[in-house]
Amino acid sequence: MLDCWRPMNEASYSAPPDQPQSLRRRHAFLRYLLAPLSVAIATFGALGVDRLHVRDVEVPFFLFSLALTSWYGGAGPAAIGLLLSVLSFDYFFVEPIYSLNITSSDLPYFFIFTAFALLVTWFSAIRRRVEMDLRQARDRLQIEVAERTQQASLLNLTHDTIFVRDMSDIITYWNRGAQELYGWTAEEAVGKRSHDLLRTLFPAPIEAINRELLVKGRWEGELSHTKRDGAQLIVSGRWALQRDDRAQPVAVLETNNDITERKRRELEVSGLNEKLGERTAELESINKELEAFAYSISHDLRAPLRHMAGYTQLLKRNTAGALNEKSQRYVAMILESSQKMGNLIDDLLAFSRIGRAETHKTMVSLDQLVQEAISEAGQDVPERKIVWKVAALPSCLGDRSMLRLALVNLIANAVKFTRTRDQAEIEIGCQEQSPNQIVLFVKDNGVGFDMKYVNKLFGVFQRLHPAEAFEGTGIGLATVQRIVHRHGGRIWADGAVGDGATFYFSLPRSQGVTA
Amino acid sequence: MSSLGRILLVEDDPKDVELTLTALEEYNLANEVVVARDGEEALDYLYYRGNYLRRAGENPAVLLLDLKLPKVNGLEVLQQIKSDQNLKLIPVVILTSSHEEKDMVASYKLGVNAYVVKPVDFHEFVNAIKELGIFWAVINEPPPGSIKKR
Repeated sequence: MLDCWRPMNEASYSAPPDQPQSLRRRHAFLRYLLAPLSVAIATFGALGVDRLHVRDVEVPFFLFSLALTSWYGGAGPAAIGLLLSVLSFDYFFVEPIYSLNITSSDLPYFFIFTAFALLVTWFSAIRRRVEMDLRQARDRLQIEVAERTQQASLLNLTHDTIFVRDMSDIITYWNRGAQELYGWTAEEAVGKRSHDLLRTLFPAPIEAINRELLVKGRWEGELSHTKRDGAQLIVSGRWALQRDDRAQPVAVLETNNDITERKRRELEVSGLNEKLGERTAELESINKELEAFAYSISHDLRAPLRHMAGYTQLLKRNTAGALNEKSQRYVAMILESSQKMGNLIDDLLAFSRIGRAETHKTMVSLDQLVQEAISEAGQDVPERKIVWKVAALPSCLGDRSMLRLALVNLIANAVKFTRTRDQAEIEIGCQEQSPNQIVLFVKDNGVGFDMKYVNKLFGVFQRLHPAEAFEGTGIGLATVQRIVHRHGGRIWADGAVGDGATFYFSLPRSQGVTA
Repeated sequence: MSSLGRILLVEDDPKDVELTLTALEEYNLANEVVVARDGEEALDYLYYRGNYLRRAGENPAVLLLDLKLPKVNGLEVLQQIKSDQNLKLIPVVILTSSHEEKDMVASYKLGVNAYVVKPVDFHEFVNAIKELGIFWAVINEPPPGSIKKR
């Protein structure tokens, strides 16, 4: 019976704002209707009992009806009920009956009745307020529980490992991520001491961590935890402190993400870096040794060679006419060989220098460079008939002196190997010009080469022609290849015996000029 | 040839000394050559020390300096000369076997007057020495305080 009244009561005290105006008015009407209704019932009840000759029970009837009215109707209906009760009581039960006249001797009786009725109303109002408060508290609690349940289920959705512990480290919440990572279910974990369960190893003294947590409200760092199966984990921990209304710390929310794999890789990378550093140092020292070696060759090997040539020359001069033809030829051979060895040493040193020297990259005009190379490579053969076909060439980023050397070598080769032709034709052009790279070629109509040996072309001291036919140390193309490689490019050749050769090389077009 | 300046040849290799002197002889330039066999001896000569305590007091017209020398190397000798107020005017020619770019750069940075790589071919070598001798000892007017034979 009480429950069916509830909606009306709630409406009487705190009408929800979304309730329609008509409904609220109906509730007020019902509330006020309760006053006459209950007084009428009390009156009829009292009269009925009076008929049964049970005397002086009308007052409790009225008090009871008043209590009901004030309970369910509130203050307004209670006041009306009180007025109606007094009138009804006076009219039906106080002499003279069926009259509203009151004798002065009855006045105290009325006062006492009124006071008593007020007291009942007051108590009833207090009780009602207490009950309302309780109900509201219960409702709030229910809402909060619902919210928390929803939050907790949301936390369960995340892949992150989250748990909450109180200030004595006891776990109070454990999400699904924590279960998946550590292996314990929420039922197993909640109630345990977190640091004991997980065998936490801290990166700093726990006192310092707690101090930071209390001061800043949060803490971040890497921790070591042990899983249920005994495996050790490295986690990246982010702790947040929860405080209550009085700013007292109550709980710590720990979000710990597994970074074991990342840590392992970091270690691996740092190990590799260390190895790389060692290897680099090793290579640097080897490079230094090579440099010293080359320096030594440059100084110490050339000196005796020079002496040999010098003394032989002096011998030749001092014995002029005294030596027979054969001996003169021997002397000439010694001189030729020492000259050749001098060239070999020089070329070899130049080749080694290209590998060691730093590249100084600038924008280089290939047009200009080719003209320089042609005049250098062609200067020794003024009597030769050479038709030059030079296309317009772009500029590119590269080491000017190295690229120049490469072009001089290629063009000098073209000049050399067209020696047998009445009219040499040498073409220099650009085969490809894309945003990524440019491909240059040097083409001649010379003696060419057998494609069978194309892979030997670029080797040091590799020669495809007898020295009597074409002089040379066999280092030129190796030098060109090394220069092209140092520029990040590629070199290749195409040719046929007696049908000329074409050398191609690519240069990447890197953006930005480095000094 | 009106006058001939004194040449200080700093060279440790006796064969190189012989060949250089031979080349200079061909052009009658060898008379006034003083040979120092290492960097220390060259500095002794320039500073009137050791064996050169009582030598005649003037600077050579030119210094032909090898780089790879025992005790004090060529670059160190060059540095010493070019940092001394009394010696810095002496023309110094590096005469070396090496094509090494870093040696060349270092020498020019120290203020060398010429850098010559000895050619393997003796003809070329003789020509180079001759040119050097004639230019520095005959044609070039050395700074004041240099030995010149009238």
